Amino acid sequence: MKTLANIALRNLSRQKRRSILLGSAIAFGVMIVTLINGFAGAFSENVSENFSNLMAGHIFLSGSEKEAGGKELSVIRDDSALTAAVKASGAPVKYITRRSAFTGTLIFEGKKIRTNVDGADLEQETFLRERLLLKKGSWDAMTEAGALILSEKIAAKLNVEVGDRILVQMQTVTGQNNVGEFTLAGISYDAGIFGQMMSYANLAYVNELLGLKPGEYQTMGLMLDGLKHTEKSASDIYAGLSESVQLFTRGEKDENGAQTPFQALLKQQKKESWEGVRYRLFTINEVLSQVQQIVAALDTTAAVILVVLFVIIMVGITNTFRMVMFERIGEIGTMRALGVQRGGVRSMFLLEAVFLALGGAVVGILLALVAMSIISLINFGMNSPAFILMKNGHLSFYLPPLKAIGNILVIAALTLVAVASPAGKAAKLTPAEALRTSK
Amino acid sequence: MKHILRVAVLGIALASIAATGAFAQDVPRIIAELDRLGDFSGSDFAAIYTIVSQKPGEKDSVSQVRMFRRDDKKQFTLLVILPEVNKGQGYLREDDNVWFYDPTSRKFSFSSIKENIQNSEAKNSDLVRKSILEDYQVVGSKEGMLGKIAVWIIDLKARTNDVSYERVVMHVRKDKTMLLKEEDFSVSGRLMRTTLFPKYVEISGRLMPSQILIIDELNPGERSQMTMTEQSLAGLPDKVFTKAFLEQVNK
Repeated sequence: MKTLANIALRNLSRQKRRSILLGSAIAFGVMIVTLINGFAGAFSENVSENFSNLMAGHIFLSGSEKEAGGKELSVIRDDSALTAAVKASGAPVKYITRRSAFTGTLIFEGKKIRTNVDGADLEQETFLRERLLLKKGSWDAMTEAGALILSEKIAAKLNVEVGDRILVQMQTVTGQNNVGEFTLAGISYDAGIFGQMMSYANLAYVNELLGLKPGEYQTMGLMLDGLKHTEKSASDIYAGLSESVQLFTRGEKDENGAQTPFQALLKQQKKESWEGVRYRLFTINEVLSQVQQIVAALDTTAAVILVVLFVIIMVGITNTFRMVMFERIGEIGTMRALGVQRGGVRSMFLLEAVFLALGGAVVGILLALVAMSIISLINFGMNSPAFILMKNGHLSFYLPPLKAIGNILVIAALTLVAVASPAGKAAKLTPAEALRTSK
Repeated sequence: MKHILRVAVLGIALASIAATGAFAQDVPRIIAELDRLGDFSGSDFAAIYTIVSQKPGEKDSVSQVRMFRRDDKKQFTLLVILPEVNKGQGYLREDDNVWFYDPTSRKFSFSSIKENIQNSEAKNSDLVRKSILEDYQVVGSKEGMLGKIAVWIIDLKARTNDVSYERVVMHVRKDKTMLLKEEDFSVSGRLMRTTLFPKYVEISGRLMPSQILIIDELNPGERSQMTMTEQSLAGLPDKVFTKAFLEQVNK
């Protein structure tokens, strides 16, 4: 076998140009597929982490209070049981955020836009200043009660400048119409489609507009020391909370994928009845579980590309090895005459193909790693419209080792299939027939 | 002479106080009468409302809805006739639940009585029975003029948070109980919309506004004019107030 392997390697080096061309084709295909796999690998984590920053937490707690008339109010009036459960869970909490929010229509001089406004306690949420870069205006102006920060795109649609007074039409937690007046304190860099999630005002004023009292709020966000702690910490906090407050059952993913666990949680709320306040706990992963579907779609795309590229490459390999067989027909005859069996000839061809595939695949993966390193050095900035897909403004990649090994095995298998026919024909040649055939 | 003057002034003052007191006592009666005029309990009500909405820089849009009401059971069905693109959409109310039906997806979704009709300034709640006495308390009342017409100006504050507007100011004609103007205020006290009722029709001895002009006070230039036609108090089949009806009319 070792001799056959040596002959296979020697045969590859005899036709350097041909081997390099075939290897390059394999390497190119592997590189493309590896890049897609690497992007998909980091996509989920990047999106989740960036959303965690936007939503100010990895784990969220919100309350639904049932009024005497049956109306449900989204409010947390007393969070002592919640904070106690968080503390008792030992979760690695970096900081806790307390926010209220509404969706309303911003109106300025005949122009209007519907958007979400988050009320944040900016004295507590100091990290927001570091993360949200302002293009115009300043954070200092946010000390004014009715101050507002809008993203660049929304500010442009309303045609507002820093200092302008903007009306907002919205509803209180009980559903009554209300009107507020904001003063634009700052304009943040555009965040693409997520610009509508980046309007910030003071918690106290948002509470006033919503009809909530000072100290009350709607959602508690727990920012952990990394996304990886999310699920365990959520389970621990949920277990602790179930002993002290009423809780909605945590959302479970629909089997057919029609709804996210978060949607399932909200649906449950509509079906059930309760008295007093019932809390819901959800994680960033549950809110973004559809991101996993995008990752699966990317991986499927990569697999399809892998197959399509290799069907094309396989045709090339089959043709090349057919030519090789005819070129070496005399050599095959000599080897057969010297006692090499049919299986030996077949193995020689197959080994040659496997070496070619492995070489091409390894080079492809190495090229992909180099490309990933170079691409990830480019700083697109935190103001990039695609920032949600990036890690601190850089495109990042993560290639799961098993996926890389899987790709190599698939390529090796496909190459073996491609060479099986010429190798079989070569093996079937009798020594006399082979020696008689002239090229 | 001075004595006569004093007596006259005192007399006028006493008469004004008495009149004001009498008016104050009359306010609940006026509101009860307004409630009665808009209440079709004991019979069904149907009409077609045509809503013309004006927005600056945009072409006027026309919406038309057919409304079926059964106030006894707090039911209504509202069927969109125009614009053509939304034809077949509908709202169904039973007690406090309101569903919206979309014929494209053939699905019902939860909606609200506070939702605007199509893209107009009119809300579902504008077309259904309201009980002002139940929903609001009188916090002020005075006499005034609306153009050349003498009116009672009644200031109302919401008793519950179930209503769309926290404060409502009504201008009611003095010589016969007709609501001529209504101003709706936000929780923060800002005037949000003004509704004018320039035309009335008489249906079975009760006056109903046949033309309503709703002015959006937050968005200058935005207004909707609602005209009521084909009004009827004839009995309606029960199936009109079912989900199946909305599905059926789209087949």
